[in-house]
Amino acid sequence: MKPALRLALLAALCAGALLLSVRLGAVRLGVREVLDALRGAGDPTTVAIVQRLRVPRSLLAALVGGALAASGAVFQALLRNPLAEPYVLGVSGGAAVGAVAAIVFGAGASSAGVGLAAFAGAAIAIVVVLRMAASVGPTLDTRILLLSGVVAGAFFNACILLVLTFADTESFRSALFWMMGSFSGATWREIVLLAGLAGPALAVLFALARPLNLLAVGEETAQYLGVRTERVKLAAYGTASLLTASAVAVSGVIGFVGLVIPHIVRMTWGADHRFLIPASVLLGATFLVLADSLARTVAAPTELPIGVVTAFVGVPFFLWILRRRGA
Amino acid sequence: MILDSARKLCRTAAPALIAAPVLVLPACGGERPAEPPPAPSVQAISAVDDAGDTVRLAAPARRIISLAPSATETLVAIGARGQLAGRTEYDVGVGVDVLPSVGGALDPSLEKLVALRPDLVVGWHTAGANPVRDRLREIGIPFFAVRTTDTTDVFRTIGRLGVLSGRTREADSASAAVRRELAELRASVAGRPARSTFIVVGDEPLMTAGPWTATIQLMEVAGGRTTFPDAKGQPQYVSMEELVRRQPEVILLPVSGDGAARIRELSTRPGWRELNAFRTRRVHALPVEQVYLMGPGIAQTARLFRDAIHPELASR
Repeated sequence: MKPALRLALLAALCAGALLLSVRLGAVRLGVREVLDALRGAGDPTTVAIVQRLRVPRSLLAALVGGALAASGAVFQALLRNPLAEPYVLGVSGGAAVGAVAAIVFGAGASSAGVGLAAFAGAAIAIVVVLRMAASVGPTLDTRILLLSGVVAGAFFNACILLVLTFADTESFRSALFWMMGSFSGATWREIVLLAGLAGPALAVLFALARPLNLLAVGEETAQYLGVRTERVKLAAYGTASLLTASAVAVSGVIGFVGLVIPHIVRMTWGADHRFLIPASVLLGATFLVLADSLARTVAAPTELPIGVVTAFVGVPFFLWILRRRGA
Repeated sequence: MILDSARKLCRTAAPALIAAPVLVLPACGGERPAEPPPAPSVQAISAVDDAGDTVRLAAPARRIISLAPSATETLVAIGARGQLAGRTEYDVGVGVDVLPSVGGALDPSLEKLVALRPDLVVGWHTAGANPVRDRLREIGIPFFAVRTTDTTDVFRTIGRLGVLSGRTREADSASAAVRRELAELRASVAGRPARSTFIVVGDEPLMTAGPWTATIQLMEVAGGRTTFPDAKGQPQYVSMEELVRRQPEVILLPVSGDGAARIRELSTRPGWRELNAFRTRRVHALPVEQVYLMGPGIAQTARLFRDAIHPELASR
């Protein structure tokens, strides 16, 4: 199958998942009702459920899934480490410190305020980790970078625990709910903001696909072949980290997507980043949309944390792919 | 990894945490400043919620969904059971089991909630962002945020829920009955020494309630005094050493399930076994769902406390 055809197939899969997710929910609605509600016709309550709750939620899940998967693919290439994922450089920890601090100390902070604080925390984390790594040696050593990220992550976790120790019960609860990640509060404003940031960021990553292919082989090789490695590394780290930061700011920390989706794509279709990155975006979006649909419906009306579903569905699937490949 | 365990903690601790906010409170009912008398006009009803927002209704709410168990209990107690359109998984033992559930109290299924077409949703006032409130208001469903920390909050909430449900009279008489019972209990312990009492909000980590919470206020009505009047947190973490040093006379242990077994188990643990209250048999297991009720049920809670702290007065 040609790569373009594969991408078209993945896009169709993603569209199918989106349609299915609008059809499914804690409230049973027929296809007819959903279609009417999408056009704004029919019962106002149904219209509100579909247009104001389900559609924004599904779209946000798709955007976050795409962003995290693309970011994961880039981190795995740059760090040449199969364990790399979007949060490995402390972005999620920084975001969580920002959000938790806003919740605990910023009495009455709005959802937008918490999101902004999360983004600011993530941005600070990115800069701190990059500077920490860059201060050692003349070039950006990926091993040092990885270590800096891990160390910073541990430090941020300590900050979170410190803040939570002094939090009252109410803030404690809000903070923990934030950290579990959720799409239930999805708004159109968040979708527009995330799309506005993720669009250009993904364009940059797509443009970096060729140099990433070479970097994934080895930095020296890439250099011999004319890649300006330092600039490419910096651009890719910065962009992928910002992508992760914006996803975390709107939805909290949602694990597993960024780790496993790129691996699945790589194991199934190979590691050419010109294909790997866009395919990861589409598959990540599909995966998170379906996972969120399950989270909303399996134990309805109780909603499962999205991270539970991504792991419960993702792990067995991943193992199956691994074994199939091994055989 | 730390984050992961915090997430786990959140899930497993959810019911306890939901009960806990409820325990954050101070001064007892009697001396609170009088609310302006609710003046229900035929035209419109309005009340200010605990987030400071004014909620206006064209008519008394007829399809209420309460996400806060204390508000559910209050609504049932003022006779508004028939005006409830749904419940959460945490509304247990107040006779609303047949109503459709909307899931958790803090993370309900929004679409289930909207589909029940409530004309009023009562929910927790949360610190910071409240996406449930924001989404509902966007859709045009009034959201009334409550926060019950001390007994003053309990009375205020009874009053405002009475206004919103068109049952001010029932609400007033419910409040009056609770005040009467609390006054009776207070009188029953008058002249007796206030006994140093420790309430175990959590044993791992060891936590108790702050002195401004309804729990401690009710303990004081019941003739006790908190072993940790200097607590500032909510909840207050306490070191085992300090507890052993202060040697409470009475220990109140909220439990779900077999209280005797729980007491036996605790009494053998390090630190706990140094507490004299275990030897003097002054450790009292109390049903957890009663202890943290934050509606008109506080009267029964206070009686339970009184009977534990001053057993010589029990069953009078």
